[in-house]
Amino acid sequence: MPVLLACCSYSYSSEEVYGTTTNAANVGLNWVMTNVLPQATGLTVNNVIYKYTTEKDPEANMLVHVQNENAQGNGYIFRATDDWSGLPGNTINKTIPVGGIGIDFWGDGSIEIEGFGTVLDPEVYYTYQYVPCDNPQVDPKCPGYIDPLTLIQEPEIDTSSEEYIQEELDREANMKAQKEEEEKEARDKFAKATEKKVRVNLENMLGLSPGAGLQKEQDALLHNALIRMSYLSTEYLGEIKGGEYPDAAMLKDSNLPDNASARRVNFAQDIMHQKIVQSQYD
Amino acid sequence: MKKLVILLFCAFSAQAEEMEVVGNVASKCVVTPDTAGVYGNPTADELSTDPTDGGVDPIVRFDVIQASMYKARILYPTSFSEAPALNDTVVWTGDVATSQVSDTSMSGYDAAKVEFDNVTEFNLTVTGSTWFKTESKAEYGYGKAFPGGVYRAVVSAECIAI
Repeated sequence: MPVLLACCSYSYSSEEVYGTTTNAANVGLNWVMTNVLPQATGLTVNNVIYKYTTEKDPEANMLVHVQNENAQGNGYIFRATDDWSGLPGNTINKTIPVGGIGIDFWGDGSIEIEGFGTVLDPEVYYTYQYVPCDNPQVDPKCPGYIDPLTLIQEPEIDTSSEEYIQEELDREANMKAQKEEEEKEARDKFAKATEKKVRVNLENMLGLSPGAGLQKEQDALLHNALIRMSYLSTEYLGEIKGGEYPDAAMLKDSNLPDNASARRVNFAQDIMHQKIVQSQYD
Repeated sequence: MKKLVILLFCAFSAQAEEMEVVGNVASKCVVTPDTAGVYGNPTADELSTDPTDGGVDPIVRFDVIQASMYKARILYPTSFSEAPALNDTVVWTGDVATSQVSDTSMSGYDAAKVEFDNVTEFNLTVTGSTWFKTESKAEYGYGKAFPGGVYRAVVSAECIAI
């Protein structure tokens, strides 16, 4: 069985795929080749098959060009001309070998008419071939296929490194600061809203109205009312004496001995900590 | 002594040989049926291959490798190869014309064709493929209905060296 599987896998990779496109001219006399040919790496076109019917006066001159632009340069990569001059209209059916021209050369196609007459029911087909695994990356079944995900290696993180620890600490600190900032903003917002509400209520109660000329008097009345309501703390009115405030306690430089009892406590805490940590694995 | 006798016999006998010459001639004109015809029955007394009558015109393809060496001879049917018993006359008509061409010059075949009886001949003056379409119509009696059954007729197409 393994031998058979290996054989099948090999035949898949080496088998050439032959095919024929749908009618390129089913939407009109101009077509885009990327919509017609399968976009397979290494695809080559072997034949162009076309068929159309002309309606014309037998005496009239008429040339019909079936063509594809050269996508890699100027001019045409394929051009077949039918001269209907002096001939009655008919249906023409042609197969033209082109000898395996690569997909990159096939530009947009068209049927162009010179002279007098019309083209009806145009049909243009391209026969092609390609090896599916010419580029192994197009199909995971192709030999030599490399999973792109394996090429993306995630960097290993050393959680014990100082850099990592420092980054984590910074991140936590930033988050904490951000949270505190948000809480402070919320508190300030609430305080301002409350103050405004109190002020409006007081203004209503005192019968004040906002006027430019009386703003000072109104502020004084409001201030007094706030004092009476004990809304403002009495410390708000207290005075702070100016002057110099020297440090009260001073520590003189000298030899400070280790505290042995503190060390014992410290060791005991360490042992206890290790026991607690170990207990979660037991 | 025995050997000597044999040698003398060979020396005095007459010698003759015959050699065969072989040659294969592949036809440069190939006739291939392309589309099978079907009779439609637009009226009770008529069978027709015309698509407007519900029929299909038979099409035959001539592939010519060498120009102006052959002519196509196509005969539309004048009798049924298979039909129920008919006790009245059948009037046959038909026509042969190019249906598709692989070269614009072949478009002139129709103007140059020769017709006699039920025969149409085309001089194949251009290399390539030409599709010929045959129309056939059979009318029974004088407005008489065809008896029910299967009707078959044959279109004959041959390539004749000029």
